Amino acid sequence: MDRRSFVIGSAASAAALITRPSIAQDVYPSRPVTFVNPFPPGGAVDVVARPLAAVLEPIIKQPVVIETKAGAAGQVGAQFAASAKPDGYTLLMHIVSISGFAEVDKLFGRPVKFTRDDFIPIARFIADPMVLVVNDQQPHKTLKEFVDDAKKRPNGMIFSSSGLYGALHLPTALFMKAAGIQMKHLPTAGGGPALTAILGNNSQVLVSSIAASSAQMKAGKLRALACFGAQRAPAVPNVPTMKELGYNVEFYLWVGMFAPKGTPVPIITTLRDASRKAAADDKFKQAMKNLGQDVAYLDQAEFKAFWDADAKRVEDAVRLIGKLEG
Amino acid sequence: METVFDSLVLGFSVALRPDILWFAFLGCLVGTLVGMLPGIGPLAGISILLPLTFGLDATKAIVMLAGIYYGSQYGGSTTSILLRIPGEAASVMTCIDGNAMAKKGRAGAALCIAAVGSFIAGTFGVLMLTLIAPPLAIFALRFGPPEYTALLTLGLIFLAYMSTTSLVRTLLMAALGLLLGTIGIDVMTGHFRFSFNIPELGDGIGIVPVAVGLFGLGELLATPSHQVVGDVKSPRLRELLPTREEWRQSAMPIARGSVLGFLIGIIPGSAHIIASFLSYAVERRVSKHPEEFGKGAVAGVAGPESANNSASTGAFVPMLALGIPTGPVTAVLIAALLIHGIPPGPTLVNDHPDVFWGFVASMYVGNLMLLALNLPLVGVFVNLLRVPYAYLYPLIIMFCLIGVYEVNHSIVDVWIMLIMGVIGYGLKKFGFDPAPLVLGLVIAPILEMSLRQSLIMSDGHWLIFLQRPIALTLLVICVGLLVLSATSFVLHRRDWRAKLAAAETSES
Repeated sequence: MDRRSFVIGSAASAAALITRPSIAQDVYPSRPVTFVNPFPPGGAVDVVARPLAAVLEPIIKQPVVIETKAGAAGQVGAQFAASAKPDGYTLLMHIVSISGFAEVDKLFGRPVKFTRDDFIPIARFIADPMVLVVNDQQPHKTLKEFVDDAKKRPNGMIFSSSGLYGALHLPTALFMKAAGIQMKHLPTAGGGPALTAILGNNSQVLVSSIAASSAQMKAGKLRALACFGAQRAPAVPNVPTMKELGYNVEFYLWVGMFAPKGTPVPIITTLRDASRKAAADDKFKQAMKNLGQDVAYLDQAEFKAFWDADAKRVEDAVRLIGKLEG
Repeated sequence: METVFDSLVLGFSVALRPDILWFAFLGCLVGTLVGMLPGIGPLAGISILLPLTFGLDATKAIVMLAGIYYGSQYGGSTTSILLRIPGEAASVMTCIDGNAMAKKGRAGAALCIAAVGSFIAGTFGVLMLTLIAPPLAIFALRFGPPEYTALLTLGLIFLAYMSTTSLVRTLLMAALGLLLGTIGIDVMTGHFRFSFNIPELGDGIGIVPVAVGLFGLGELLATPSHQVVGDVKSPRLRELLPTREEWRQSAMPIARGSVLGFLIGIIPGSAHIIASFLSYAVERRVSKHPEEFGKGAVAGVAGPESANNSASTGAFVPMLALGIPTGPVTAVLIAALLIHGIPPGPTLVNDHPDVFWGFVASMYVGNLMLLALNLPLVGVFVNLLRVPYAYLYPLIIMFCLIGVYEVNHSIVDVWIMLIMGVIGYGLKKFGFDPAPLVLGLVIAPILEMSLRQSLIMSDGHWLIFLQRPIALTLLVICVGLLVLSATSFVLHRRDWRAKLAAAETSES
């Protein structure tokens, strides 16, 4: 490469950058919309966001870009979205754990980075009830046997989780409180390692989403003892719910869409309409079915009510776990 | 055996269909490119292309996405050798001797050996995957926290044998790496450590910004301070191929790297970066000329490059046989299978034999394609060295910045890289080797976590490390290595390290 071609090349690429066509900004959306995925690729949000983006694009007639901003168990991405310009071009896809960050920060006396009020809920797409599973080396066939055994030997069994105050830890804490049992906690670096731990019998119990453990349940490596839904889940119809068994615990791994506070109402309305159509799309339904779940769509009002109730559960669980001395 | 053969026939009947071949080729091509660009690792490449596969059937999708993954292991060596920038984390070790070879005018040879080594290791990995995947996967599951702790301890002890500088300097760098590795959220209690309320630091310091900063940027910053009158020899075309002697020197390292890499790859949660580090250490230990390491030893390229490739194949064993992810990349591949309605798990082989064996067979074909893709490119890439520094270096700095930003879209990472660049410059000036620092940084969080997990499991009793057979075996090897080096130290035997130290003092 000689100097002349270098200069020409640089000038050409600079020109290409500057002369990007500026489109009239009146009708939303007039340029690509970004979904922030606060978890690593392949995680709970990614597998929902990508099929959703694929069906949303023809509806809003703009590309939907998924930007991965993973970090601090979903806190980094959420904070990024909370401080984004509220113009409807940066949206957040997040899961149940979004409700717990402020509570954890308060617990540790840290400045609260964002609260639930920093987001406007738009729609919920799925809500997978958690299941309590034991591995095939445990003798328990029912939750009653399990609880009786756990009561006989406090801290004798180990449960793994995706991390402290994470989506797998919180429901376990709620259940332990309700059943009055004690187990040791083995935090790992994510849902995959938590599953690996129970398969290798380094932990004996795991509270997992149905989707994440269904293949292992089918293969007989894991046995579900109870489900955390309000009703029995279609994917595991033989597993009783916690409520049937007398424990007032409910917990879902849900995925929803949020906009930063201050996003204008007309834009929110557009997004709600687009989300409703996308959730009804057969391609999206099929993609979710393949993941082992059903679309559990809620529009803004119902999602808001659900989120308020759910956040209370999450905050209770965080306070229940409390601050660990380190 | 018969059933394996029948299955492979089924697999190849799928893999050799023209449409599947085309998608395997696409995957390999993208993988090679992704591996060469620092920052855009296989993870980003696969997740960007994932939506494109929604319209395809599952076999095509998985064949293409997996091609990106193992293809990137080929491409990663290119920038390491030519520019001393690790194209992805697992290529850090290749920087050292690969770039030294390039400076001696043997860039072509280094690239060829890396490509051929990758091919042999990749094929070996697939062969092992075909024959013994299920029992191996069960074995890999027995690697719980105590086994991990023992394995990483072994890794740290090996480190002492690895560096190109003296033992004290190596351990100093490793300790620094381990200390840097403690930055971030304490996973056991949720407390932030040394993070100054920067949420990005909560996850600790990333490997890519550190590796690119220390190796790539540090090298660039150091350049103006010494004579640069064409000290990189642009090789002539006929010098592109390795000599007979170089082939001979790389044969055993490739074989050892393949086996070692595969074994480490199948353990869930381990990184192939560890495989390449260990391979480098082993090669240096068994070499008759350890003093050549760091100055362009062929084995220092052949071993680690083979190891990271067979490790990436080994990572498929737990994924395919058990449906559990061994790392972020296999997690995305599992998600891809799920989206296509194929739940990966112990039942995958029986439920979807065409997908399973088609995928395995496509890896044989894919490795061949990658070899065919990479060898001719050697000639093209080597020409990069002909570009004058005045143009090349600003471009490299730009690639470093963009690449590092791309990993997490984090400006904090860019700052880390810049700071590490300055530190890398300082280390180079004072003759410290940055590789142990990177290894320390990689190991620290995993070591800490598995150590504390083990102690949770045992209620704080350290005996747990001796009660579990695999952990015990690994620790016995550790002790054996320490005793060996202690004896030689006591006997004042002028072993290779003493010779090396002598050589170093005479040099300076």
